[in-house]
Amino acid sequence: MRVVIAEDNVLLSSGLELLLARRGFEVVATATDADAFLAAVGEHRPDVTIVDVRLPPSFRDEGIRAALRARRDHPGLPVLVLSQYVEHEYASELLASAPTGVGYLLKDRVSRVDEFVDALRRVAAGGTALDPEVVAQLLNRRSDPLATLTRRERELLALMAQGHDNATIAARLFITDNAVHKHISNIFAKLGLAATDSGHRRVLAVLAYLRA
Amino acid sequence: MLKRGVRATGYLLGTLGTAAVTLVGLPLLCVPAVGRPWAGRHRRWAGRIRGVTVPPGQPLRRWYWVWLPAHVVAGLAAGLLTVLAVGNLLTAMVVTPLWWAFPADEPAKLFFDVPVRDWGTALALGAAEIVVLSAVVFLLLPLLADGYARATLALLAPSPAERLADRVEVLTRTRADVLEAHSAELRRIERDLHDGTQARLVAIAMRLAVARDALPDDPALVDRLLREAHESTEEAMTELRDVIRTMYPPILADRGLAGALRTVAARSGIRTDVEVGELGKVPAAVEAVAYFAAAEALTNVTKHSRADAAVVRAHRHGDQLSIVIRDDGAGGADEAAGSGLAGIRRRAEALDGVVTVSSPPGGPTTLTVELPCG
Repeated sequence: MRVVIAEDNVLLSSGLELLLARRGFEVVATATDADAFLAAVGEHRPDVTIVDVRLPPSFRDEGIRAALRARRDHPGLPVLVLSQYVEHEYASELLASAPTGVGYLLKDRVSRVDEFVDALRRVAAGGTALDPEVVAQLLNRRSDPLATLTRRERELLALMAQGHDNATIAARLFITDNAVHKHISNIFAKLGLAATDSGHRRVLAVLAYLRA
Repeated sequence: MLKRGVRATGYLLGTLGTAAVTLVGLPLLCVPAVGRPWAGRHRRWAGRIRGVTVPPGQPLRRWYWVWLPAHVVAGLAAGLLTVLAVGNLLTAMVVTPLWWAFPADEPAKLFFDVPVRDWGTALALGAAEIVVLSAVVFLLLPLLADGYARATLALLAPSPAERLADRVEVLTRTRADVLEAHSAELRRIERDLHDGTQARLVAIAMRLAVARDALPDDPALVDRLLREAHESTEEAMTELRDVIRTMYPPILADRGLAGALRTVAARSGIRTDVEVGELGKVPAAVEAVAYFAAAEALTNVTKHSRADAAVVRAHRHGDQLSIVIRDDGAGGADEAAGSGLAGIRRRAEALDGVVTVSSPPGGPTTLTVELPCG
């Protein structure tokens, strides 16, 4: 799988390259600013991109803007945005453009290699990967209707919102696929959401609900 | 000129009223707690007539005790003069066209006491009286009002030198507070980094060193040490992020105050509208305090107020940034109850800012934070 990285800090980009190379990814270009990133995306047509939120020259949210630009120029381009801190606002902006193939994670998560690679593959395949902290922020906003959920159901909703599929959720919570199904239909009924098949459309329904 | 006359008339009639009240309430008004707002009110009115802004909440000056009796005497006199002038002017305006409606044995009187029996007299005398009294109301009364206001301010408002002295005193005190708050903040950051992140990094380095040492002969130990080092690294990152957030929230750097306020509002558990005016350039320290105030206030609203909705307003007036957080909740916020309001006040005052809380039982609660940006 071919990857383009936008990261101005050499320590971090070399670390990412090392990690990705070991897991069989091919880093075709590493850009240190937004323009170089956009050029690299145009040139290499990567399968997935990894973008740091803060890039030169002003080190604010250039990465988010670059990611949105790149997705406008190349619809469907999978982008995984990494940041030292997360704000659900940024997640909303990323998801608003087109909610497929988007990831937004704390940089810390990179060090959990298996989970990070799983998230990257999910994004590359058109899925979503939202940081648990973003999801926690989203869950905090909608306290009223969510109060009717049991603790287990909240855990499950959080994992769905992060972009995980049934199998992963079942494994994470140590429950069976069947139990996951049952919980999900309970959650959807309590929140008044139309039941959707498993898979990405369900993630989108949950995110749309939480962001509303 | 018309407006000035009307304003002067209003002011002088008000003076008549307050002079009468002062006369009746003289003993009560000698109590400083009552006298202070009374003097403040007169300063404000006088300031409006003179077109100057008078800073509110000044202490009582010694001249207040001179002003009290002077206001009774001069206020009654000026007020009565105003009543006479305006009253006669209005009377003349009514009587002149309607002189014929008066009974013959009790004819209308114009220009003081001249009886009117025909249109010629009525028009001549009426015009003369209206001109003279208009001159009094529109030329003389504004001068009188101005003089009265000037005298009031001279007695009640602090002189520039006194004001400067007050200001120096306030600044000296707040500067000491700023230094104290800044030092406390530095100590807190140092302690957080020293006890948390730095200690963790040392522990990680030690584990990695032992792991290298054990590499040839104890793979199980190496595995455990690496896992522990990994976990410590993650904890250090989390801690570091928290420390950074309390120093200067990264969202402020990224999106400025307007954007940061919107994220705070969006994160609160209730519907929160945000109105941000043109803010211009705001110093980072001021932005940080404004942000913390809004975040803390909205946390309070969500936790305690039982409100359905809140609004956050940020506006700039000259070099003042004002942040208003208002909710439609139950009110009764108590600063002494450790509700975070004290923290907001401490941070705001460290920047020479002012915090006011209005939270009557039954609501609504309004928190206003005024911060100088200059």
